[in-house]
Amino acid sequence: MALTLDIRGLSKTYPNGVRALSDVTLTIPTGMFGLLGPNGAGKSTLMRTLATLQDADAGTATLGDIDVLRDKDAVRRRLGYLPQDFGVYPKVSAEDLLDHLARLKGLSRRSERRDTVAALLKQVNLYDVRRKALGGFSGGMRQRFGIAQALLGNPQLIIVDEPTAGLDPEERVRFHNLLAEIGANVIVILSTHIVSDVSDLCSSMAIIHRGRVLLAGDPGVFTRALKGQIWQKTIGHEELEAARATLPVISTRLMAGRNLVNVVANVPPGPGFVPVEPTLEDVYFAAIGGRLSASADVDTAVPA
Amino acid sequence: MGTLGAIAGFELRTRLKRMSTWVYFAVFFAAAMLWTAAAGGAIQSANIVFGSGKIWINSPYAISQTVAFLGMFGLTVMGALAGRAVQQDFEHRTEAFFFTAPIAKWQLLGGRYVGALLVLVLVFASMALGVFGGTLLPNLDPERLGPTRLGAYVIPYFTVLLPNLVWIGGLFFCAAALSRRMLPVYLGSVILLVGYLASQGLLRDIDNKLLASMIDPFGVVATARVTEYWSIAERNTRLVPFEGYLLWNRLLWIGVGALVMAFCLYRFRFAYPADRARKDRGAADEAAPAPAARLAALRVEPGRVRALALLPRMAWLYLRDIVRNVYFGVFALAGVLFLIATSTTLGSIYGTATWPVTYQMVELTSGTFAVFMLVIITFYAGELVWREREHRFDQITDALPVPTWLPLFAKLLALMVVPVILECVLLLCGVAIQTAKGYHRYEIGLYLHDLFGIELVSYWLVCVLAIAVQSTVTHKYLGHFIMIAYYLAIAFATPLGLEHNLYKYGATIGYTYSDMNGYGHFMPRLRAFQAYYASWALLFAVVAYLFWTRGTVPGWRARLVQARARLTMPVVATAIVALGLMGSFGGWIFYNTNVLNPYVTAYDREQRQADYEKQYKALENAPEPTITGVALAVDIFPFEQRVRMHGHFDLVNRNAAAIRDVHLFFAQGDNVVVHQLAFDIPAQLTKDDPRIGVRSYRLDREMAAGAIGRLDFDVEVPTHGFTNSGSNTTVVYNGTFVNGLFALPVIGYSDRGELATDRDRRKFGLAPKERMRPREDPVGLQHNYISHDADFVTFTAEVTTDADQWAIAPGYLQREWIEGGRHHFVYAMDSPILNFYAFQSARYAVRRDRWNDVAIEVDYQPGHEYNLDRMIAATRASLDYYSRNFGPYQHHQFRIVEFPRYATFAQAFPNTIPFSEGIGFIARVRENDKDDIDYPYYVTAHEAAHQWWAHQVIGGDVQGSTLLSETLAQYSALMVMKQKYGEAKMQKFLAYELDRYLIGRAGEQKKELPLGRVENQDYIHYRKGSLVMYAMADYIGEENVNHALHALIEKYAFKGPPYPNATALIDALREVTPPQYKYVIDDWFESITLYDNRATSATARKLADGRYEVTVDVVANKRKADELGKETDVPLDDWIDIGVLDAAGVPLYREKKHITAEKTTFNVTVAGTPARAGIDPLNILIDRRPKDNTVAVDIK
Repeated sequence: MALTLDIRGLSKTYPNGVRALSDVTLTIPTGMFGLLGPNGAGKSTLMRTLATLQDADAGTATLGDIDVLRDKDAVRRRLGYLPQDFGVYPKVSAEDLLDHLARLKGLSRRSERRDTVAALLKQVNLYDVRRKALGGFSGGMRQRFGIAQALLGNPQLIIVDEPTAGLDPEERVRFHNLLAEIGANVIVILSTHIVSDVSDLCSSMAIIHRGRVLLAGDPGVFTRALKGQIWQKTIGHEELEAARATLPVISTRLMAGRNLVNVVANVPPGPGFVPVEPTLEDVYFAAIGGRLSASADVDTAVPA
Repeated sequence: MGTLGAIAGFELRTRLKRMSTWVYFAVFFAAAMLWTAAAGGAIQSANIVFGSGKIWINSPYAISQTVAFLGMFGLTVMGALAGRAVQQDFEHRTEAFFFTAPIAKWQLLGGRYVGALLVLVLVFASMALGVFGGTLLPNLDPERLGPTRLGAYVIPYFTVLLPNLVWIGGLFFCAAALSRRMLPVYLGSVILLVGYLASQGLLRDIDNKLLASMIDPFGVVATARVTEYWSIAERNTRLVPFEGYLLWNRLLWIGVGALVMAFCLYRFRFAYPADRARKDRGAADEAAPAPAARLAALRVEPGRVRALALLPRMAWLYLRDIVRNVYFGVFALAGVLFLIATSTTLGSIYGTATWPVTYQMVELTSGTFAVFMLVIITFYAGELVWREREHRFDQITDALPVPTWLPLFAKLLALMVVPVILECVLLLCGVAIQTAKGYHRYEIGLYLHDLFGIELVSYWLVCVLAIAVQSTVTHKYLGHFIMIAYYLAIAFATPLGLEHNLYKYGATIGYTYSDMNGYGHFMPRLRAFQAYYASWALLFAVVAYLFWTRGTVPGWRARLVQARARLTMPVVATAIVALGLMGSFGGWIFYNTNVLNPYVTAYDREQRQADYEKQYKALENAPEPTITGVALAVDIFPFEQRVRMHGHFDLVNRNAAAIRDVHLFFAQGDNVVVHQLAFDIPAQLTKDDPRIGVRSYRLDREMAAGAIGRLDFDVEVPTHGFTNSGSNTTVVYNGTFVNGLFALPVIGYSDRGELATDRDRRKFGLAPKERMRPREDPVGLQHNYISHDADFVTFTAEVTTDADQWAIAPGYLQREWIEGGRHHFVYAMDSPILNFYAFQSARYAVRRDRWNDVAIEVDYQPGHEYNLDRMIAATRASLDYYSRNFGPYQHHQFRIVEFPRYATFAQAFPNTIPFSEGIGFIARVRENDKDDIDYPYYVTAHEAAHQWWAHQVIGGDVQGSTLLSETLAQYSALMVMKQKYGEAKMQKFLAYELDRYLIGRAGEQKKELPLGRVENQDYIHYRKGSLVMYAMADYIGEENVNHALHALIEKYAFKGPPYPNATALIDALREVTPPQYKYVIDDWFESITLYDNRATSATARKLADGRYEVTVDVVANKRKADELGKETDVPLDDWIDIGVLDAAGVPLYREKKHITAEKTTFNVTVAGTPARAGIDPLNILIDRRPKDNTVAVDIK
């Protein structure tokens, strides 16, 4: 029986009145799950709640038979968490800190720990600098250390929050490869605003916006559902405003200084528009822009 | 538990690898070693004493003191290590790693706490090691070292330091864990430090001993209380016991620590605090996309940034940042609260308060609040300089078109405004406190002048230094460390022998404000140094600019290059100006302190005394003339601080041998200008040693035995400029009080000029000496102990001073007139006086009264009217009592003359009592307060008594002579006080005397002595003397004591040599003592006797007739002590009071019982409800623990 993370009706409102999560319901299977949404959508709040760092106001979450919200200790035993914003002890070496964290994760036998730490450092390609102080690590190296500690103790639930922000293209590819190596039977939740991370890696996803889940399910399905409904045109700068006002524009982009406008519609929306292959990005922008429910063929999984 | 151990182990390991840990270790090690070495005499010029020069530096007591004292300064380190152990996760943002690990709260917190504690124990172990290291140094005075005992080093750890680490570490840990910031930790360390300082203030009022011991979080006060009555022998050998005040204090604070940790555990959460979560920017998304700004149209040509105009604005922004911070408010509030707490014991003597005059408020603020101010300045200097870098904003601000000096000076300016604000707060506090105490002479001008004109300047100097330091270092905490090291260096430079203020930037240049003399002559020196330090500050500012970090500047070489690049013309010019000013002011100061006046350190002064003895001791027994008459003309120039004395001495040769050589000694040494010195016989100056002040003359013809002669002289003591420390407080602008010996020579060698303490003598290779001649020494009895060169003399003086001042000399005023801008006075005595006189001059106000045919006069500073009636009443009561009981008063006038508070004593000259501003004129005796002691009354009565005891009967230059003067003056004053205030008030006074006697004996530098052989030791002839004489009056009756004293006067008043010694009084008392009490004479006067009496239980039952039968069990112990305090038990054969007191403390029954056994039970019947009962209930006998003499009566 495969492990799932069942989230039902999770809500959270901050003391300043901000509704970070509004009745979020998701079923997350094993494998890579992408949680997509703009900044401030509530992704980090959700991640922190699942990582036992924050309490929800209402709702439940179960990991297998563990009540995630109440039985924090049990969750932590199976958890690997790479936070969005973290630092390191500057004067401690990578090896020492990783060893210490391994000890805290429950790897009490020194030989076992030593082997695990060495293996992980090799895996994230930090083995050569394992004795160096963490204060001297670059951003990418720090991120790799983060992933190493998240992988300690063979976790069943791995949460990575905005992991590739700030990484250069090569580091990003390396990171993706790392994640891809994570074995089956592990739930990996990848929270990000970078659409290509999800499209590259994830077999299931959800889009979250303003604390609500807009859709959840197979990314491929959503993409295919938009086939024939995405139209693109190159327009001048002055026509941008007008276009936005009159057409269901989902995204605009600049290419070599000219504006490229994407529009979602069943029929050609106007002269000069050509149909293009839908990408996950289009799904994303359409969902965020509130334009998805307009199209009857799209399989919206969950009511917004 | 394993997890806790792992976390503790990790914390310990990583801390031990940090250099800062070892730096702390090294600093405390060095400090302890240096401290011990200095106390042990290894550093020649240093002067650190643990209460007595006889206590071994490695005795349990001394080590306990050292560890406790240095441990206090380790408070910041405790905070750093304990707080950081848990706060580092928030600082480094690694908390997610730990909070999501499967560990429990108590494991993480416990592990970090234990780890930090282990590190602290290790770091503070450096202190004991440092002390030990100090004992191994060469050059130590061997007398200061005792045997090395492991217990002496280890015990203070367990009794003092470890509990401190546990609870204070816990407190800081909790503060850091719950607030997730280091600021509360810094706040806590300052508050604790000042709490300690405040408890010192509370100690002045004896009733609060328990409170003071308990509120002291360091256990230092409690330790001192447990050992306070220990003699020297005990301090050297006994281990400090873990009992009494100390035990309770430790338990209390450990309990507090446990509570704090429990609270911390309870409140700590493995969670993100709500306010750290990202705020939803949904609101912003709602808005329609803003139209893209037509950037082309908005392009503004940036003109030259008008930097100077921006300066105030930027400074204001920085300032606002500091002041709006809630912690700043809390810091300031804490300081104010401590100020208020300390003000409750403001200037009190014997527990009685003074009027809260403005200069006291000002001195209070500069004392108590200074620590807070310095902490605030240091801390915020760091915050300001590192602000942008800490918020990761520096790369933005550094790239702005703003000159480099602008943020630097804006921050400096903002920092400098902070003390201005705080001084305003202090002013308001001071005024509030004065108003609350019912005093309304605010003297706002004085507040402004002192707080803003003087103190503020000092704080500004620190501001500049702090900013310069933070600008140059690479790490904020290093900057703090350097500043703390600077404060410590300044504080400890002088005790370690580094005295000159030219190299102590920002040092406090001493001054004392007096209502009589204002700031007087202190101002020129103060201003000179302030200007000099300010020029340093200018240089520091330049350095700060050169090394100001802008952009990323890795490494020192790059910074030097950048500094060189910043050396533009204006900068170089400023530096040159600074150096120039430094040179000019420094040169001016040096000229004053080292050229105009010789630069004399404390060591130099001691050396001079040693040389005096080494070179001239042989002259001790040479025959010298004796003075029989004094005729003086004294010219006082207050504003030049100059006095000139000319006139003559009438001499006679009282020796059997003829005199050929005469030796004169001038106390002021090379400060004296001798215009003329001539004998009636021509003489040659054979030796002129100005440094020591010796002038030897060889007479052309010898002066035969019995011949009379004359010495004419014209000498002057001027003042030039100023000196590095100290000043002429004798001849001042208003309130001159100059003793004749200030300018005039003493004839012959006087051992008064020698070094006194064994420790000092050893330093210069002199053998220890006896303080005084034995009581029976016939040579000693040939001279009185006041002057070696005269007995009783005739006296006339003509004094001149400024036209608007009034001069006072002993004698009756014959004439006074103003001529040539000077005010002339002629005084003459109508009877012989001791060769002991002083001259005073000021703009006095006068209050007059009479007693019989004696004219009473009080000359005082206008504004100090508070206690004049009291003083006059005391004078009348004293003259009345003394002339009735002892003998007639020999003068027709009695004058009390105020002098500035540079010295705080009163002194009895013939018919004149100079009385310090600070000890009676501003006393505030509250009549209804049963706890207040009328000390102006008491001091007046005491000084009046000296007109009999000293100016009529004077003892010889031997042991025990002060019994005849000081002790009898105390007794006399007590009897006068008792007449007015009753026995109950006397009890309170005597309780103070007992306390101070017991403390005094613990601080004895050489050896204690019985009262009858006292060697001028204050704690014996004043304190013990009061107790003994009061007890005598109680045992044999006041009339009998007075009878004996009257006999003394009859026999010895105005008689010359041979002078009486203590035996005269002791024999006289013995004659009037009934046989069964005769043992007390020997016990109290000829030995050191201490009782340890206590009541163990008291019960009572009501009788049929309404009276009560009280049964009381008592234990009596009598001991006699030797000179160093070693005690032996003595069998009891004594008469001691057994008493029953009512609820108000009035005796219902008090009778002396013959006690011969250690434990006895007594049954007495009393009318009235008994409240307490016991042995010696009024504490008439000297008892180590006076409070256990009575117990509450259990009424059955």
